[in-house]
Amino acid sequence: MRKFVESLYNAATNGSRNEGTGITRRGFLIGSAGAGFTMAFTMSGLSLANPAEAAEKGLFEPTIWFRIEPDGKIVVNIVEAEMGQHVGTALARIVADELEADWDDVVLYYVDSDPKWGTMVTGGSWSVWQNFDTLSRAGAAGRQVLIEEGAKLLGVSPDQCRARDSQVLAGGRSVTYAQIVQAGNISRSFTDDELKKMPIKPPSERRLIGKDTLARDIPGKTNGEAIYGIDASVEGMVYGRPLIPPTRYGSTVDSVDDSQAKDVPGYQQTLVLDDPSGTVPGWAVVIADSVTAANKAAQKVKVNWTAGKTAKVTEKDILEEGRKLIADDSIGSLVVDDGDLKGTFDSADSVLEQEYITHSVLHFQMEPLNALAFKKDGRWEIHTGNQWQTLILPTLAKALGVKQEHIIMRTYLLGGGFGRRLNGDYAVPAALASKMLDKPVKLVFSREDDTRFDSIRSPSVQKLRMAFDADKRVIGMEHHATAGWPTQVMAPGFMPKGTNGEPFDPFSIQGADHWYSVGAQRLRAISNGLANDTFRPGWLRSVGSGWVNWALESFMDEAAHQAGQDPIDFRLGLLKAEGKNAGSAPNSVGGASRQANVLKRVRELSQWGQDMPADTALGVATSYGQERNMPTWTACVAKVHVDRDSGKVTLQHLTLVTDAGTVVHPDGARAQVEGAALWGASMALHEGTEIDNGEVKDHNLNSYQPMRMRDVPAMTVEFVDSTETSVGLGEPATTVVGPAIANAIFAAVGVRMRTIPIRREAVLEALKA
Amino acid sequence: MIKRVILGAVVILVVAAFIIVWNPSISRIDPPAAGAFKQADIDHGKVLAGLGNCGTCHTANDQKPFAGGVSFPTPFGTLYSANITPDPDTGIGHWSEEAFVRALREGVDREGEHLFPAFPYTHFTKVTDEDLHDLYAYLMTRDPVSQEKPANQLEFPFSLRPLQAGWKLLFFDDQRFEPNADKSDAWNRGAYIAEGLGHCTACHSPRNDFGAEQAGAAYDGALVDGWYAPALNASHSTPVAWTEEELYQYLRNGGSALHGVAAGSMAEVVHQGLAKAPDSDIHALATYFHDLSGADGTDAAEARKTAATAIRDAKAAGQRQMGHGEEIYAAACASCHANDPDSPNLLRPELSLNSAVTAPDPTNLLRVTLEGIDSPSGLDGVVMPAFHDALSDEDLVALADFLRKKVDRPAWKNLQARIGELRQP
Amino acid sequence: MATKITLNGESVTLEVADDTPLLWAIRDHAGLTGTKFGCGIGMCGACTVHINGRATRSCITPVSDVAGTSVTTIEGLGGEGAHPLQDAWVKAQAPQCGYCQSGQIMQAATLLQDFPNPTDEQINEVMSGNLCRCMAYVRIREAIHLASDAMGATASDAEEKADA
Repeated sequence: MRKFVESLYNAATNGSRNEGTGITRRGFLIGSAGAGFTMAFTMSGLSLANPAEAAEKGLFEPTIWFRIEPDGKIVVNIVEAEMGQHVGTALARIVADELEADWDDVVLYYVDSDPKWGTMVTGGSWSVWQNFDTLSRAGAAGRQVLIEEGAKLLGVSPDQCRARDSQVLAGGRSVTYAQIVQAGNISRSFTDDELKKMPIKPPSERRLIGKDTLARDIPGKTNGEAIYGIDASVEGMVYGRPLIPPTRYGSTVDSVDDSQAKDVPGYQQTLVLDDPSGTVPGWAVVIADSVTAANKAAQKVKVNWTAGKTAKVTEKDILEEGRKLIADDSIGSLVVDDGDLKGTFDSADSVLEQEYITHSVLHFQMEPLNALAFKKDGRWEIHTGNQWQTLILPTLAKALGVKQEHIIMRTYLLGGGFGRRLNGDYAVPAALASKMLDKPVKLVFSREDDTRFDSIRSPSVQKLRMAFDADKRVIGMEHHATAGWPTQVMAPGFMPKGTNGEPFDPFSIQGADHWYSVGAQRLRAISNGLANDTFRPGWLRSVGSGWVNWALESFMDEAAHQAGQDPIDFRLGLLKAEGKNAGSAPNSVGGASRQANVLKRVRELSQWGQDMPADTALGVATSYGQERNMPTWTACVAKVHVDRDSGKVTLQHLTLVTDAGTVVHPDGARAQVEGAALWGASMALHEGTEIDNGEVKDHNLNSYQPMRMRDVPAMTVEFVDSTETSVGLGEPATTVVGPAIANAIFAAVGVRMRTIPIRREAVLEALKA
Repeated sequence: MIKRVILGAVVILVVAAFIIVWNPSISRIDPPAAGAFKQADIDHGKVLAGLGNCGTCHTANDQKPFAGGVSFPTPFGTLYSANITPDPDTGIGHWSEEAFVRALREGVDREGEHLFPAFPYTHFTKVTDEDLHDLYAYLMTRDPVSQEKPANQLEFPFSLRPLQAGWKLLFFDDQRFEPNADKSDAWNRGAYIAEGLGHCTACHSPRNDFGAEQAGAAYDGALVDGWYAPALNASHSTPVAWTEEELYQYLRNGGSALHGVAAGSMAEVVHQGLAKAPDSDIHALATYFHDLSGADGTDAAEARKTAATAIRDAKAAGQRQMGHGEEIYAAACASCHANDPDSPNLLRPELSLNSAVTAPDPTNLLRVTLEGIDSPSGLDGVVMPAFHDALSDEDLVALADFLRKKVDRPAWKNLQARIGELRQP
Repeated sequence: MATKITLNGESVTLEVADDTPLLWAIRDHAGLTGTKFGCGIGMCGACTVHINGRATRSCITPVSDVAGTSVTTIEGLGGEGAHPLQDAWVKAQAPQCGYCQSGQIMQAATLLQDFPNPTDEQINEVMSGNLCRCMAYVRIREAIHLASDAMGATASDAEEKADA
């Protein structure tokens, strides 16, 4: 398992090695971005390292990650998408800490797509974990050079100097970074090896990391200044509104009748797209002078489609297909296959087996999909918020019939990502329409378009089995999970192979390769082809661990009851840091003992074991996050009340303890846990849709009801104080809340809910049964 | 019902044949010259026109006040209002004061033709000579607008004007207002306005098969011109009885905290009609309607207490409801309508106190939800969005059901069909 | 086809069809993009602006309905400086992706106007029409309480000065 995660990580971070530039994200060669003071990417093609050019411009740019301008401003390049995680602030703090910069001098610069950044992807809760080392060493390299140059100006030797608050100090004298840059002509570069050897400060010397600060992206989000993709505009653009076919794939346009739309002032025409990339088959786009005109006209344009073969598929069909797949032992990928499973189960004293279901979930990010596309100076520009530029660029190139190098994606804030914008398919129709019209097209999806075209979280079916010996000790476990696989559909190159040689979507089974010692173990992942054909499965906040941990942690609760043990004690009994669960440096130091630690802590914080009012109880769940190589140790206790008359479940309190290693930006980290946990609660109790007639049933908020202010429980959020490797925070809390709620419901009223969302009607039915 | 009406019409026709249905024409005059009227009379006439709300029915286009042409769909066909500007050819420029007074008092036009009772001469007959003079002075000094009245589209036999003679025989009482000596001056002033020029029962009372206000059902509430005019007598549906102060606030400003906001045609009455009247008249109306509501002795403190209980009960009932309607309410309505039970805010119209929710007819709730309230209507400057394209029929039914459950009223019937009708442009 | 309004204190004429939603008139014709499009059916609150000082969903309000009114968007809320709510929003670090926050703040301004010291229950009632998909609700609530305190303090200062 670890191996595939590493290969995945390498693929994600070193993609640009194939570009032949010699610049990679990990081994940053030193050079100027070559663009001068404002650093806008106005130059075409690649910008090779050229420290001398930077020096001519009076800048100090020792790495591609930051530069220092003559006025002392330190501009840190942010390659990740800003979508609510305040990632720019966290990443810049890492640079600034090693650079010994005065934080007030630091300015963030969010970069456009360019091969020199390597793979551009913001997801998987990877950002800090993936960049921490690189950025630390970049900062340290900068500090080293500044000290050397500062020492010259002060007329002392470098070892007499230290750097602090954007100054080099020696004895009672000092020179500022600005003065050093102004004195000029710094041209230093570091080889890959030099950088790898660049020492970084011990945690005790950190001055910014681990300390709170105000996130840099926030003020503009309170006064209307923040610019999102939907705010992008360019001279001469027309507006497009998609007309989306009845099925995601295989629909064809038979005829378009826009005679009635011609009365709409501002309506121009309706385009039928021909998409060589196959991303948006059967699409038409209404073109008009304004969003409103496009919307009005779209209601009047009649398109006749021949629907694809999935036009009648329902949620039930997909779940039934999942059950069928699980029943067939001969298929799927064996992700884990340890020990003599068959023998263990055959000899077991008792076996627990359960099935768990999750239904379709919409991303419903607040900013509906949109993209502005146009050709300028022979190059295509795509203006939109996006999480994975590197993934969609080749598709755009294919759609437009141009080379990837001739497309640039401009960076905007994302009005919510949650994984929806990892899949950049929405940029394709904008580009195609612009190409057809030879003018800029701003495509703005209505909310209904957005949900119909969503890459939803696939419905899933899972079967779990556990074998106990006569002493009710766990001796074996198997877990079979099936769902639509986003990675298979959109990035098959990222699929590692299981022990049986079959490829699997790591994101669709993550969280299942747990740190419990359960003896013989089998983990089987199966792609649900009917799901893949009906919709484009999406990566949605925590992806597979969202459904995997629902099943796993509900099942562990059932197993605890089967074993006659307290649910926390039962789990602690299995979390032994030994064998494959011992953990290893640098990422998973401590292994299962750290998961045990957060469980113990959440028990202390949550009134565990205390008397509760009637029909009120606590439930627990835990997780290591998504990847064994990037474990974020998480534990959650949910307190719920169940109303026996209506079946309504009220979530009263959530207690969460997280061990994410070094926390760079504590307040931002807390915000991520708060938001992720409430996402989990929302998916467990409020959201959920289903496939009906080949598409999602709920199109807008009149029927789709994510959690709102009134549904928010009291929350206690704590982090384990740690200087271990920084891991990810955006997703793990999402995965523990649902099972904690279901386990609390069981503790409160004795009914076991095995499907999310947990509907009031289902609870009522279970109570009556 | 149509059969019965036709039978009745035949009876009236026979009766009419035996009585004198003929009215003489009154001679044309030349339009009065500017300066023919005293300014004080004109000014007072303007107030009276406001109290009578003449402009609402006689103005189809704001650019052409009093030029008529407003359509009135009735069970008998569609009527159009007349041009009452002093335009000689298409308006009333040739009408003498005598002709004007006869029209208002007897429902007969200058040429002697019977007017249809959609024109509320049954009320205007109560108005004093002085007031009619001043109203005449006001109208005859308006800018003449040349605009022909569209032809009425009535089903036979209702199109026969002589029928109206029989109708008058049955339903019309040609009598001036008589003060009630047992009541205060203010009460009598209010009654004079309400029953006369104000013709309040024309909307607030149900009508019989012949289109006449039902005897004994004054102010029982009725659906008129696409809006439901709620009951104003003791049969009112709202939890809180009207106090004089609340009535005054409502009639003066278009809303009251314990009742709600004037919308639809009542918004026009308040903002375009009553707005011209002095405070004393509004107070007089408040005195009269307070008495009418049978809420003797309701003081402000008592009303607030009743309101607080009603809001609390509704909140509690709302919390017991779960499902689609409740979710729509929480997401789309509560931001603007939720209140502290102890101090409901005029600018946050409290739905549990509002006749739009408590009345037996859903029209007002549905129309306001679908169409919203624009800036000139409703409270000063408060705008409600239009949910026409936002909520589906299913959403609206669920929402209406939820709101009715909240106030412990039976569900409205045939909601789906009514929504369908109201969605038509 | 032209609607005159006062937008953030300035007189503007919006040359758009009468049934154009106020939201798009503000964004595309007046060029103020701080007000956001979220659901288009008045149920997410991202489009909330003030009409004559009161929070209203602009995505389903036809522009002709607001003729002659004074419309305030997030760009104009604070006048010259920042509104106490905007300060509180920063202090509580409320926004995550930030897309809903213009609407949240505009709605909260009306909340505090009507309920200067709102209870959590009142916050629930009034603010549940504003969806935050990042689920930053804990901080939005906190920010509202912070602003309420700040505004209350300002008000009592003013009273004390007036008394003196």
